[in-house]
Amino acid sequence: MTKPNEPLKMLAPESFRHAISRRALFQIGGAAAGLAIISACGGGDDDADSGSSDTGGSSGTSGGSSGGSDLLSQYSNVVNKASGNLAMFTWGEYNDPEIIGSLAESSVGVTMKVDYYPSNEDLITKLSAANGNSGFDIVVPTGAYIPQMIEKGLLQKFDKALLPNMVNVDPLYMARDWDPTNDYSVCKNWGSTGFFYNTTKITRPMATWQDFLDACMNEASGDCSVLDTAPNLCGAYFWANGINWTTEDPADLDACEAYMVDQFAQHIKAFDSYPSTAIAEGQFSLSMIWNGDGRAAYGRLLDGGLNVDEWKWVLPGPATEIWMDNYCIPTGAPNPEAAHAWINWLLTPEVSIKDLAFHGYHSGMKNIDQLIAELAPDLTYPEIIFFTDEQVATMQTGAVNSAQDRLVEIYDKVKAKAAG
Amino acid sequence: MAIAIDHAPRPVAATTSSSPAAGRRKPPKWLLAAPSFVWYGLFFVLPIAVIVIYSFGVKDASQLVPVDLSNPTLQNYRDVFSDLFFDVFRGTLEVSIGATALTFLVGFPVAYYLAFRASERWRGLLLAAVIVPSFTSFLIRTLAWRIPLQPAGELSTWLQDIGVLSGPIEVLYTRTAVFIAIVYNYLGFMVLPLFVALDRIEGALREASKDLGAGRISTFFSVTLPLAGPGIAAGVVLTFIPMCGDYVTATILGGTKGFMVGALIESQFRGSQNWPMGSAMAVLMIVMVLLSLAVLAAIFFALRAIGRRAGRPIVDAWRRRERPQPKPSRFPELFSPLLAVWTGLVLVFLFIPIVLVVRHSFNGGAAFTLWSGNYDTVWWGGEPGRLPSGKPMVGLFDFGTTGATLLRFLIVMAVGIALPRVWRLVTRRDPHPALRLWAAPGAFALAFVLNGLLTDWYADLFQQAGVGDGLRGSFLAAFGGTVIAVVLGGLSGVALARHPGGWSKIFMVIVFLILVTPEIMDAIALAGWMQRLGGPFTNDIGPLPFGMLRLWIGQSLYASAVVTLIVRARLSGIDESLEEAAADLGATPRTAFRQITLPLIAPALVAGGLLSFTLCLDNTIISALISGASSTFPVALISATKSEIAPFWGAGAVVLFVVTMAALAFLAVTLRRSGDSSSDIAATLGGG
Repeated sequence: MTKPNEPLKMLAPESFRHAISRRALFQIGGAAAGLAIISACGGGDDDADSGSSDTGGSSGTSGGSSGGSDLLSQYSNVVNKASGNLAMFTWGEYNDPEIIGSLAESSVGVTMKVDYYPSNEDLITKLSAANGNSGFDIVVPTGAYIPQMIEKGLLQKFDKALLPNMVNVDPLYMARDWDPTNDYSVCKNWGSTGFFYNTTKITRPMATWQDFLDACMNEASGDCSVLDTAPNLCGAYFWANGINWTTEDPADLDACEAYMVDQFAQHIKAFDSYPSTAIAEGQFSLSMIWNGDGRAAYGRLLDGGLNVDEWKWVLPGPATEIWMDNYCIPTGAPNPEAAHAWINWLLTPEVSIKDLAFHGYHSGMKNIDQLIAELAPDLTYPEIIFFTDEQVATMQTGAVNSAQDRLVEIYDKVKAKAAG
Repeated sequence: MAIAIDHAPRPVAATTSSSPAAGRRKPPKWLLAAPSFVWYGLFFVLPIAVIVIYSFGVKDASQLVPVDLSNPTLQNYRDVFSDLFFDVFRGTLEVSIGATALTFLVGFPVAYYLAFRASERWRGLLLAAVIVPSFTSFLIRTLAWRIPLQPAGELSTWLQDIGVLSGPIEVLYTRTAVFIAIVYNYLGFMVLPLFVALDRIEGALREASKDLGAGRISTFFSVTLPLAGPGIAAGVVLTFIPMCGDYVTATILGGTKGFMVGALIESQFRGSQNWPMGSAMAVLMIVMVLLSLAVLAAIFFALRAIGRRAGRPIVDAWRRRERPQPKPSRFPELFSPLLAVWTGLVLVFLFIPIVLVVRHSFNGGAAFTLWSGNYDTVWWGGEPGRLPSGKPMVGLFDFGTTGATLLRFLIVMAVGIALPRVWRLVTRRDPHPALRLWAAPGAFALAFVLNGLLTDWYADLFQQAGVGDGLRGSFLAAFGGTVIAVVLGGLSGVALARHPGGWSKIFMVIVFLILVTPEIMDAIALAGWMQRLGGPFTNDIGPLPFGMLRLWIGQSLYASAVVTLIVRARLSGIDESLEEAAADLGATPRTAFRQITLPLIAPALVAGGLLSFTLCLDNTIISALISGASSTFPVALISATKSEIAPFWGAGAVVLFVVTMAALAFLAVTLRRSGDSSSDIAATLGGG
């Protein structure tokens, strides 16, 4: 979903960028071609791509880590070659530009074309409307929406033989409720929802969703933003009040509506799912925000020449969200072989961490702490990317259930009230 | 700008008079409109009918089409009649009526100045200036307003520093912001029809009024304003109807304050995938918009009647008072300059975002709206920056490099300008007109490329984001959509003007419905319908990018409706004697069409084509749903506006602008050669 292009520069140090791209190019791209030798010579920067692309062959290049890292050799580093075009439909700037550009061409052999959607519902509407002829090879739905997509026949099963690197994913992020066998999906990134606020405007300690709601109705009245999705808007109320946000109980939903419409709505300045830029424009003093975007907000504030010390990210208690976005292959994908090859490539540690450093969302690799220490030691604000076990324990998975219509109705009513 | 026409009182006698050739056996009157009938039937009426049927169903999310029709029900309509819908609709009406009035108040003086005060030479240029800003994506232009209006931005800080403001600018996310966005985007659609209507008023009438002793003010109210009535009506309809269904423009700057009924409908179709409810809401919305329009029309006609009656005593009174000698007041001297200043201000208002888009396309930061001095771009002096990819970049106004750059630039330009003259000296013949015309602009473009000033930076951005794909897709789609729209609209426009009959009423109803149906409903209907049709609509066709055929169809609907109206207006303004003469001289209908009618409607086709092209280029909601994997620039951009807008979108918008302008310049040159004056085209564009 989000991505600091800026943070790429601000938050991931230059040294890391070069280290990772060279290594990715030379080691992963075509170890079999003996590129390690060139690598040792420290050849030209970008032109290295051309070197690895002529390894040609259709499939089966085994990975290898020549860089002398024992750590990386503990992972599966298979890179299958493919050819042709690869069309991905995903969230805005959710991949490092090189990973969907020059590196994909040199390492996997595919030419990528990427389109973006702003919500899972948009993705489903578009795939449904095309019924297997959308022309996309890869889509990235959030977990809760996957059962519905499987039921509608929008996704096809993986050929797991083509995804050997799935073993690199931490078992914690495999076999989730929505796809217990991972036949259709594999973790791309996961994250949570919290808030970001200006400590000069809101001086009291802020730790819970109740604090968020209170501050929004007081210090930050008319100056706060909420995520532009129905489940997240209502989630703030449910989390604050100890109700599971997947509740289908009409009484809970009625109470949520009463609170949100009658008390809360008039204080909202905007519905913004990616408020980091607007925060740096000076629009909000309090924003509900996804963690990666919260991290990006620090980069934006620097961009705008503002004081980052005045701002604080909070992962609120007592409960909050955990979402996981997954790589899936839609039914009727024109180039499934390439889709498998690319997804598998993304599951190699170096590419996965390079991507993570771009957008700031946990990629689900096993032993990720060690990987970060090895590959991205200077990564800033790690506390907004990696959460402690205690924090993860407070995070609830969402669900698409019978409450969906009601949640959208509440969301519409809140918007109507906020508009008046 | 086009729909205007309908409301203009026109000599209709010609179109209704029976042809002298009545005795001959003639093809059916609707023959020329047949292709459009088929097209609209297949891609508008039937798909929409299916969606309307959905409004009697029940949501069933487990199906691909989430509608269960086994137990038809009226429940959706019962549920739609809720406080929520009417609250939101009332808000939408308030905004639309307010913004329409505001657009009129801002636009009328401009149209008045253009029609009566601007010199012939300036008129064409100024008219073009009003239209030109719409040649790049409306999304990015509207978004650009966020740059000066941000509370922590440069302007806000500066205004506070010099003491003009005591606190930061607080405009975004207010009703004011909603109005700024809407007025900005719809101004052209108001000014053009107004200009055309005013331009038609015979100067003699106004002179007569003054000769009879009426003052400036009474002339305005008793002569000018009533005669401009059709233009006002056209402008109001053209802005009001789309505003009612537009839910994107208002939210870019207005946030929550721009929550419109269209967004409510969209949340049903997408957010909760409740298509039955969404359909019911859309049907209700169409009915309500038409009702509101009827009420507005009634008020308008009532006011006009009162105004006319009231005008006479005013004239009399003025005459009595000023009989001896209408003394020249100081008013006139002030009036023209005031109008000119106002027009200038409005043009500045229109161009501010363009300038900002260009500047911010060079933004080295991560976000389009957030100017970052920290990275990359070197505007003047200092260390050369780095491109986003890490490659070093030439400082844009870095003195050392700029000197050399400037020199190279001037040399190439000088060669371009000198070339035609050198040619003449050497060959002692006049150079080919094309050489004379294109040498200088060609050199200008070449100088840019050679210097790599813009191109390095842009190429780098384009590689990163794949914006290039979107732009290519946009141009290909818009080109196809425009061709279809011009052919269909041209034929049916001729049929409507020359062979009206019972069929034309049905046809006009369809055209009108196309113009008022909310785009999200069209989009859902069309996407599902093409799926049902299968065949070429769901498969690759030859070398075309996937889904291109669907884009052509989707984009051609609205555009062809607009072309139809423009062509019809153009022809019904010209009487039929030429065509009749041709027939009398023995020309076959086909020859008459090719040699008489076609040249007559050429300006209308050009104007309609231009308008279609911009409409297609900006088509967002329909394209987003039916495009499949071949996306267009606005489709990609609208998704980005809901997340982060990186500066490369600005670069894309600039390229879009430059290419469109170049195409336009080419067209203008071609047309000038073919003898159509620019104000003729502009006039046709405005619906006359």
